[in-house]
Amino acid sequence: MRTGAAAGHVGYFHEAVLYDSDEHLLAVVVPFLLGGVAAGEPAIVGFGERNAELVRRALPAGAEVTFLPGGEVYARPTSAIRSYRKLLAGYVAQGVGQIRIVGELPPIVFGATWDWWARYESAINHAYDDFPLWSMCAYDTRRTPPPVLSDVARTHPRVARPDGSHPPSPTYTPPESYLTEPRPMVVDPVQRTAPLVELTDPSPARARAAVQAADRGHLRPEVVEDLMVAVSEMVTNALRHGTAPVRLRLWSARDRIVVTVHDRGEGPKDPYAGLLPAGDGSAGGLGLWISHQACDHVSLHREADGFTVRLTAGNPHVPV
Amino acid sequence: MCIHWPHGAAQVTGAGAPTTAYGHVCLAFHDPAALDARAVRFLAAGLAAGERVGLIAAGGRDELARRLAGLPGLDDALRRGAVQLMSVQDRYRSDAIIDPEAQVRAYAAATDEALAAGHTGLRVVADATSLVRTAAQRAAFARYEHLIDRFMRHRPMSAICAYDRRVLGEAAIEELACLHPEGNTEVLFRLYALAGTEPVALHGELDPSNHEQFAAALDRANPRPVDGRLLVDATGLRFVDHRSLLHLRDHARRHGATAVLRTSRAGTARLVELLELAEVTVEVAR
Repeated sequence: MRTGAAAGHVGYFHEAVLYDSDEHLLAVVVPFLLGGVAAGEPAIVGFGERNAELVRRALPAGAEVTFLPGGEVYARPTSAIRSYRKLLAGYVAQGVGQIRIVGELPPIVFGATWDWWARYESAINHAYDDFPLWSMCAYDTRRTPPPVLSDVARTHPRVARPDGSHPPSPTYTPPESYLTEPRPMVVDPVQRTAPLVELTDPSPARARAAVQAADRGHLRPEVVEDLMVAVSEMVTNALRHGTAPVRLRLWSARDRIVVTVHDRGEGPKDPYAGLLPAGDGSAGGLGLWISHQACDHVSLHREADGFTVRLTAGNPHVPV
Repeated sequence: MCIHWPHGAAQVTGAGAPTTAYGHVCLAFHDPAALDARAVRFLAAGLAAGERVGLIAAGGRDELARRLAGLPGLDDALRRGAVQLMSVQDRYRSDAIIDPEAQVRAYAAATDEALAAGHTGLRVVADATSLVRTAAQRAAFARYEHLIDRFMRHRPMSAICAYDRRVLGEAAIEELACLHPEGNTEVLFRLYALAGTEPVALHGELDPSNHEQFAAALDRANPRPVDGRLLVDATGLRFVDHRSLLHLRDHARRHGATAVLRTSRAGTARLVELLELAEVTVEVAR
């Protein structure tokens, strides 16, 4: 049994909250949470510290609302999908009729790494559709860049308003379409310099060695180790599924290593590639999914001359 | 028993496996004369250490004796039984598929005989090229290579297994070379026996380019769990990807066991956790 605006809906009921004041945010979120509490549904808040505190103060004492420890869950989109799917499966196993979650992304992701979070917002329409989930993603329109808000409108089927209405988003685009659109690459400034390494059709072992050689000790060892895993996988995908030549370029900046792997093919057919594990794991298809969890940013680009995946290890939040 | 090997180890390259106290070396060769020169050095060191030594290869006894002509005191050693020669075709048909267990039993008996005759051990150079021409022959021989590797870990026997590059392709040689702890071929990974509690060690790198070879090697070596745990010393493994971890999981699952991977890399633990591999646990040893 589902309650509230999502009553009768099957699967994921995904909404955006586009707020411009604390009052606006609370007018949507507080009734949403308390409605869940009243119906005996899990009501969960995944906000950053400030807004979590705002909501906590606005709730009646003792309200059975769960606050997720902020931050970590939104470190990487694929990890967020993994942990939310686990959380949701746990609730469903307990027999709950609906789960209510309100969340927000940390504003730092509205910059250089927004592309993979935009893909996240689109992909979860599918990835969470196995669950009786009603969730709201809150965006502060005063601080969120317009291009991000445009992606938010295209990835959320509905908007939750303080007047209690839930109008559909006119520009909503289903994930199968949204995720296969060509997306211009937001160039990392280091890419405008000459690459430290440039390899054509490297073996995975050669590609890993290039990463290892670029390690000047400026990144933690596990970060470099994880980048080697990702580079190995991306080169393998390009060699196996792409179109030759496969070109690897590597740049090293003060706080990060950036690697691009380009081939002349069309890239993965699966719109959810990287965000969800493809297949059962034994037939391949896990490489991009693992890379999305091994790197601090993964960017995918389809262009006229082929497909590029860019991997960043270290600080991906560069000014662009 | 510890066989020192002053001539061999320095010339052997490969995935960088540590030089072992025992010796089980894969030697892929183009030039028979170079093989013979190497065999003479290797066997001479054995004789000097009081071992019984042997050459097993194609060709008649006289031809084999000629190949070892450079061995000091060859005639005397042949008379004393310190050097033995065996022609492969005297023992096997050209298309024979060996029986791995029987082959190891034969070497165990030969090692015992050598000791009973007052030698300190057994050392052989075997050119097994004619026994590994077909895929079916190689499958059986690869199994034997691991069994004899295990035997040599515990008994005073050492060997050079020679394979002729003029006859065998690179892939065929790699199938066998990866089951030796050392050798002169550039194999990306090696799987070999250990003397301690870990039944096998992995060395080198396991990645998309060799995971099928790893699956085959694992299947052929077929290491067995002890008390439900299959210990794998992977401290010499510089890289392992999800494909090979899945093969290891499948192997453990077939034996109803848990594979315990000892590694110095925390990344492997992260990967196992990500893949939720119930039958693989990782012990990170720093």
